[in-house]
Amino acid sequence: MPEAAGGEAPALSARVVEILPSALFRVELAGQGRPQATVHLAPEAGLLRVRPGDAVLVRLSPVDPGRGRIVGLQ
Amino acid sequence: MSVAKSWDELQKMHRACTITVETLEVLAQAAQAGVTTKELDRIAHDCIVKAGARPAFLGYRDYPATLCISINEEVVHGIPGPRKLREGDIVGLDLGCIWKGFYGDAARTVGVGQVDARAAELMRVTREALLAGIEQCWPKKRLGDIGWAVQSHAEGHGYSVVREFVGHGIGTRLHEEPQVPNYGPPGRRERLVPGLTLAIEPMLNVGRPEVKVLDDGWTAVTRDGSLSAHFELTVAVTEHGPWILSEPWPYAARPELHA
Repeated sequence: MPEAAGGEAPALSARVVEILPSALFRVELAGQGRPQATVHLAPEAGLLRVRPGDAVLVRLSPVDPGRGRIVGLQ
Repeated sequence: MSVAKSWDELQKMHRACTITVETLEVLAQAAQAGVTTKELDRIAHDCIVKAGARPAFLGYRDYPATLCISINEEVVHGIPGPRKLREGDIVGLDLGCIWKGFYGDAARTVGVGQVDARAAELMRVTREALLAGIEQCWPKKRLGDIGWAVQSHAEGHGYSVVREFVGHGIGTRLHEEPQVPNYGPPGRRERLVPGLTLAIEPMLNVGRPEVKVLDDGWTAVTRDGSLSAHFELTVAVTEHGPWILSEPWPYAARPELHA
């Protein structure tokens, strides 16, 4: 009986601190309190307008916790 | 990563896998036109209990049957019911049992009566893809090598590999670490070590790889309705190479038995 493939990382709440080039954003994770991830907008987020200070939901990459995707606004 | 199994533990898994594969052989003979899937489930249950083992799927996450039976466009996890097999169907039979606390898991896809050439080719390539994956089960190889072998064989023949379901480690639980995807780059992920036991199970579709789960919460079907086949065997990584646990241990590889 095959197993369902590995679940996606949970969405974490974060705050946008900086807009970087190439549709990347630097966010601060609520739990860890330091700017950690450069984040690419996930395609499923659709057209979001993200500005510094916005509260967003972020899924971190399982292979690189320094990167993640913004999956929605909070 | 799951714990490497000792020789004694491998013996128990060998027994569990042998019971499973022998039962599958019985089911493959019984899968004739007009038989209901419920009837096959009953045969599977009887065979396993008669052999002194316990069904592994019955009650696993509330799965209601002993056997998973997936017809044509159904990929995996089909629940047995009143549906009758028809001439030309291809039927995925997935079965597991528990022997003295250890699990065996295997699956095969069989044709009912005469199947068309397209379906026969799909079943042949899926089985070959499984064997290609098994050939990678040597110590110091990596998990990614298995996925690569399966994927390149499948896609080389024009079939697609299901991503939403993967193989798995197996032992005292049905699903153990690590997951064994049927895709991915070679040379990545964990190294294989002797005593590691894996259930490798390629699921190949004629059309696109996407699947969806029906409202019963179990049955996975191809999104585009194309045919799908599934083969599975439980394999142990040993210093002498892959040991398909439903096969006898190669005698020559155990010199102490010659004494």
